[in-house]
Amino acid sequence: MRIITKLEPGKIYGLMGNISLSTNNNNYFIINSYKFKGIVKEYLNSSKAPMALKMVMLNETYLEKEIANLSPSEIKKVVLAKALIENKDYLIFDYFDKDLTTEEKKEFKLLFKRLASIYQKTIILFTNELSFIWDISSSIIYLENENLHIFSKKDYGILKYVENPPIIEFINLMREKGIVCDNYQNTADLLKAIYRIKEQK
Amino acid sequence: MEKLFTINNKDFYHVSTTVLYTSSYNYLEDAKEFIHHNVVVINEEKNANLSDIPVSILQEFNCLDLLTKTDLTKIDNLKITILENLNTNKDVYVFLNVLTYLPREFKNKLITYLATQNKIIINYTEDIEESLLLNHIVVIHENQVIMEGAKEAILKEEKILNKLGFNLPFIVELSSGLKYYGLVNELYFNPESLVKALWN
Repeated sequence: MRIITKLEPGKIYGLMGNISLSTNNNNYFIINSYKFKGIVKEYLNSSKAPMALKMVMLNETYLEKEIANLSPSEIKKVVLAKALIENKDYLIFDYFDKDLTTEEKKEFKLLFKRLASIYQKTIILFTNELSFIWDISSSIIYLENENLHIFSKKDYGILKYVENPPIIEFINLMREKGIVCDNYQNTADLLKAIYRIKEQK
Repeated sequence: MEKLFTINNKDFYHVSTTVLYTSSYNYLEDAKEFIHHNVVVINEEKNANLSDIPVSILQEFNCLDLLTKTDLTKIDNLKITILENLNTNKDVYVFLNVLTYLPREFKNKLITYLATQNKIIINYTEDIEESLLLNHIVVIHENQVIMEGAKEAILKEEKILNKLGFNLPFIVELSSGLKYYGLVNELYFNPESLVKALWN
């Protein structure tokens, strides 16, 4: 995790690669386990718990709720609240996008933006889904053994290293047919591009 | 369709099925029930042994590198768990929100391999893209089956899926937009056939 200390604070980063996350640094909080028992208040165990819950968009009634009865999305928010109580500068989310619907992912992206911009947290999203981090990360880091590759938001060089999202696979199929098309990150933009290509012919 | 078994009021049939659930649903309750049936259940627990996997299987799944790796990752361990369980005499394989971690190539090989062995797959997932892998879909929200049927029929129900928090899979969403603009006449469920329809 030595790479992470060099990152600019208050930003959101994507992290990819077939690696395991670990750290000995007290300033990092790796969010990767969601198996807890008991009620939320006991788990958070702090006078700051109501404020932390508010920061993750949960109200105080959650303090008395059994963790086992919460949805995966709510559990993730509670774990995030715990990280905020511990006031670490680096919040590392390990495959956080799993177990979330599209709408829930959108909600968390808003939350990440707030934590980065208002509270100057450095958010690192570790995932195997490029499409989850593409629109939100200021840079994407790809880690392969000891080799580190960093790509800016609009740098499509990352596509050489990771599994391409379905939209890029589709664009590559178009190119195989001889159709000239730029890379796009969302369906609406690709749809407009195809419309233009078809109109020109 | 012939019924396979019933798990917590949900009927499963002799057809490979995607169980697409929202996060209001706790699939662990189903996991507890599956142990009463003659099925292989694959979850995130690490209890597999690489040495039990035939080299031919590792080769077929492009996983020979696992033999020399010293620091196995979550994805590596998942692959090992799956590959170790491939050759059993059980007819049904249940994947509990694990395929989402795996590379697409591995997933596709796995589905093809199990299909050629005449195994039935039940894949629990929240990843809408995975709903394209199998032919039958059950959609669950708050312990209720909201929709059930052939993949092509379920993925046409955009409004219901949106209401539950899902987008359409990319290729269905794109073909739906192209259909709206009159560039294609129907929805498509794989990229090759959509490209062919557009530029043949």
